[in-house]
Order: sequence, then C-alpha cells, then structure tokens
Amino acid sequence: MSALSRDAIRTMMAEVLQAQGKTMPASDAANLEEIGFRSLDFSELALRVEDEIGDELNFDAPELRQIATISDVLDFLEQLQAA
Amino acid sequence: MTAGAGALAGRGNRIITRGFDGRWDELEPLELPPAAAVVVGDNHDAARAVWAAATNDLEVLVASRTRVTPDLADALRGSGLALVDGEQVEGPTAVRDPIPGRVWLLTSGSTGRPKQVAHTLASLTTVAGDQPRRTWLCPYAHGAYAWWQVVTLSMAHPGQDVLFIEPDELDSWPARALEVGVTAASGTPTFWRQALYRDPQSVAALPLEQVTLGGEPVDQAILSRLTEMFPSARVSWIYASSEAGATIAVHDGRAGFPQEWLGREMEGRATLTVEDGELLIASPKRGEGIDQVLRTGDRVEIADGRVLITGRMASDEINVGGAKASASAVRDVLQAHPAVVWAAVRGRKAPIVGSIVTADVVLSGEASSADLTAWCSERLPDYSVPRRVRFLDHIPIKETLKSDV
Repeated sequence: MSALSRDAIRTMMAEVLQAQGKTMPASDAANLEEIGFRSLDFSELALRVEDEIGDELNFDAPELRQIATISDVLDFLEQLQAA
Repeated sequence: MTAGAGALAGRGNRIITRGFDGRWDELEPLELPPAAAVVVGDNHDAARAVWAAATNDLEVLVASRTRVTPDLADALRGSGLALVDGEQVEGPTAVRDPIPGRVWLLTSGSTGRPKQVAHTLASLTTVAGDQPRRTWLCPYAHGAYAWWQVVTLSMAHPGQDVLFIEPDELDSWPARALEVGVTAASGTPTFWRQALYRDPQSVAALPLEQVTLGGEPVDQAILSRLTEMFPSARVSWIYASSEAGATIAVHDGRAGFPQEWLGREMEGRATLTVEDGELLIASPKRGEGIDQVLRTGDRVEIADGRVLITGRMASDEINVGGAKASASAVRDVLQAHPAVVWAAVRGRKAPIVGSIVTADVVLSGEASSADLTAWCSERLPDYSVPRRVRFLDHIPIKETLKSDV
C-alpha cells in the first residue's frame, strides 16, 4: 500500500483527538500541549498509520527532533513513511 | 487398585461419547502395555484407555493426537512409556520398570514443551462423599486435568453419568446435552461465553443444577450471566492445575475467594498465600515431585475482602510509557460492558511510549469503538484505555477451551 498523504494523516490525527473528546484546530501551527495531544495520542496515530499502510514505521531512521506543533507531527510521519 | 477399593464404584455409570452409549464396564477392552502414552483421537478412545489402566493397574498417559508432536512423542518414549496410537505401538526408548497405578498428565506447555506431572487415580479424585445424581457435560481436551476431574468423579461415584463432547462439537453441544439430559456442566469462561454468544436459548433450556467454571480467570460478568440464566443452579468456580491439583472451590456466585481464606490451614485443604502479588499454594492434591509451596505464576489482587485471580504474572503487565497497565483489569472492564460478550487485551509495540493497550472484542449488541473507549475511560486510568479496538465476528477458542490471552 502506498504512503498516506499529509491530508490523510491530518484526518487521522483529528480522529485520535476526537476519540479523546478534543477538537483538531484549523491551523497546523497549533501547539500540541495546548490542544492536549500527548505521547499516547502520538503513539496511537503512528499505529493507525501503520495499520493503513500495512507496514511498520521505522522510528530509528530519522533524526530526533522537536515535535511541538501539528505541522511537526505531520512532517515527522510523512518522513517516516519515506524512510 | 492404586486408587483404593472404592475407586471404581461408578463402573455402572452411563457414559456417552460419539459412537458409544453405555456403562464404563461395557467399554470394549483395550490391551495396553504396562506403561503407555495413549494417543487418542476422541473421547471413546480416551475412555477405553482410562478404563483399561484403572482395571489393570497400569501406568498411563492420555493425550489428544493434536497435542502429541514428534518431539513430545520422542520425549514420552524417552521417559519409559510405550507410544500407543490405535493399532500402532512404539516401544519406549528408555527401559525401566512400570509404575502400577501411575497417571501422567501434561502441563499446558504455554512456556515451552509440556512437562509430565505424576498423579494417581486417587490424587485426581478430588470429590469425596455422597454426590447428588447428575449427568455431566465434559467438553475438556482429552487427558487435561479438568477432563480427569470429570472422569474420576464418574468412575468413583455412582450416579455421575457423563456426556463427552469433541472439539468439533463445541457449536452444537446444547442440543445434544438437552437430548441426553445433562444437569451439570463444567467449562472455561471462554467456553461459556462462546455458548451464550452462539445459542443462548438452547443453553438456557438446559435443566442445569450445577454450573462450573475453571481453567482461566473467572470474572464477575460471566458468573452473573450464568447465575441469571440458571437461578436454581449452583454456580461454582474452581481453581485447579496439573501441578497444584484442585485447590479452590467457590460456590457463592462471586468472583475471587474470601480474603479470610488466606493463610488458613485445614486438614486436607490447600493453604493459600500471596507473595508479591502472586498466588502461592500448598496443596495436598498436588502432583508428585511438585514443590510443597507452589508458585503458581498467577497474579492476584485483593479488593473488597475478595482475592481475585486476574491473570498470568508474565503476560498481564503492559508497560505504557513507564505506567503499568493490567491486561486482565482492562479485559474485565470491557467484559462488564453490556454489549461485550468477550474481550482479549494485549500490548502492542508502539513508538514513544513503548507499548499501547489494544483489544479484540466480540459484541452481542450495539457498541462502537468510541462507546467502548468512553466506557473504559470512566473506569480506568488513561494509559490503560485501549487505543485500538478490533471487532471480531466470533470468539476464538482453542482445544483447551481457553483463549490463551
């Protein structure tokens, strides 16, 4: 299965937040801490992506980086799919 | 007779297998070597092997053909047993004297090759005293400890008839049980859940006086469902294993056993203790050579004056970012949801937090993933709430009648 688009990952992220009773803001610059998107939510999102593409993401591949905004999450998961 | 003169007082009891309906002492004789591992294809073969061993004071092990791998067959022959499979007999590869009356059981082998545990008919006969007349359903795997419990009960006590069912009859047994007049049934929680999910009306039609659960952690949800379905029956749960023997029997319809039983020493009864969250048992019914105080590997929790056996020590803990989620606790919460008939919970490798909690669920009513998340969120810490829920269309059940989760 091919890599997911940034929009598709964004939709999944909104679903993860919604399941926690939270709302996805319109701006990708929104701060994760402020919207309550935590490590567990990030992990769930990663597994949703894995299930969709039918492959494991290799978290060792990319360099560690600061993930502070929605945009950072989307960038990171896009990069992981390409790794 | 190793088990004592009264051991075969049930010789006239009726047993029903596929292809046989008669008394124990009407089974066709089976010639066995003095020390044999008998590989059986069905309960008829198994009953003949047991009867032959009991009436001739033989050394025996009974195991389903599906269990006996080539490795295990070699190990059994190497332990001094001839391997008997139908007409085919392969001699032992180690020579020793037979041990008359010895009955070998295999452990479940969940942590490697099954081990042999030494018993006798006497040590496997754990029910004593006069018993009300009953016809039992025995759905257990041939040669398993629970299977021997039903077999020895029937051989030792008059009035204890048995309907044996095979693994491929697990979907259709209620009709057969009704026809035969089954009044007592014993099975794992997974067995009962599957029965209530598949065909609750046929199960409810059975005139059960005794309902017994064992072999897996027994939760309140399944006890309550069975108590509601059979209000006049005694609903019991039993804690038993090849190593420890039958050690705990609880008849009050509640999960767990009373906390005051811990540390109690009584003649002929097991002494139960808890150490670091693990159940320890000193049992007079244990297999020979088993530690006097057996570390069971079963995790317990004490709540509201009850000691609850929740799951295996080794597989229960899910490390979610350093927080410890209990798979059994999550499973119990899911199974307490009115629309959930069965659930299995496990950890799944995940980035950042190491593992997250996931669940497989079978529904008997309407519920969405969001509904179950909300249900769990109200009852569990956030790290224990399943993040991925998969809906199955049937309850997975193995020949052991367990889900092995």
